[in-house]
Amino acid sequence: MVHALEEIHRLLKPTGALIDIHPVAESSPIEIHQCGRIDLVGYLSIRQWCIDFQQADNALTEIAQRGLFAVEHQGVSNSLTYYASAAEMLTSLQESIDKFARDAQSAGEAAPHAEALAARAEELMRAAVSEAELIVHERTHISRLRPT
Amino acid sequence: MSFRIDPENNETRALFAVANFGGQHVLEIGCGDGRFTWRYAEKAERVTAIEPSAKQIALAREHLPNQLQGRIEFHNIAFEDFASASAPSAFDIVILSWSLC
Repeated sequence: MVHALEEIHRLLKPTGALIDIHPVAESSPIEIHQCGRIDLVGYLSIRQWCIDFQQADNALTEIAQRGLFAVEHQGVSNSLTYYASAAEMLTSLQESIDKFARDAQSAGEAAPHAEALAARAEELMRAAVSEAELIVHERTHISRLRPT
Repeated sequence: MSFRIDPENNETRALFAVANFGGQHVLEIGCGDGRFTWRYAEKAERVTAIEPSAKQIALAREHLPNQLQGRIEFHNIAFEDFASASAPSAFDIVILSWSLC
């Protein structure tokens, strides 16, 4: 990881900038919104299966300490993804698991978790009296670093 | 898929708060299916987007918006291979999109 950052330093112009974006390693709430009412479906526990983005934070700290980059900005952004159905959310979660699971075992453990969340969402959406929206919250770290 | 990712543009606003893309040559490492690339590419002079997954890069090429044709170059390549074949000081901005791990 640190070697990759050294390579990025080489590829950047001296006046350039490195922007790193990665999710905050915490549980993301999943909710159903209808007519001003919010029902909690559950939490997507990415820490249990996702590749370790804490390592990304550590690498940025290390590279700054070594003097290759200086951190100019660090912040957190909150975003929402809206799904029309539980099945659609499940497909999207499965794609994320395929892409970001640490290994096959973690992916295998994450799949039932995603399916359980989708089943709960389906149940709540079926009980909704009006059109409901299924919303997954996500928080991402965004950092800007300049080569030194 | 009809789901909407960040329609409030919170992530895009956070990105534009930390970088001015005007006239810049951008390298995005780990562009995936390009969903994030579309958000800033119109402002950049040129984007080189790399992704090791052939499936994801095919999706990115397939869904490239018309207005961004000619502005983005996609490469199905791992970063290590791309870096070893690239000249130094080639980019104004490098974006690591969920790929620093």
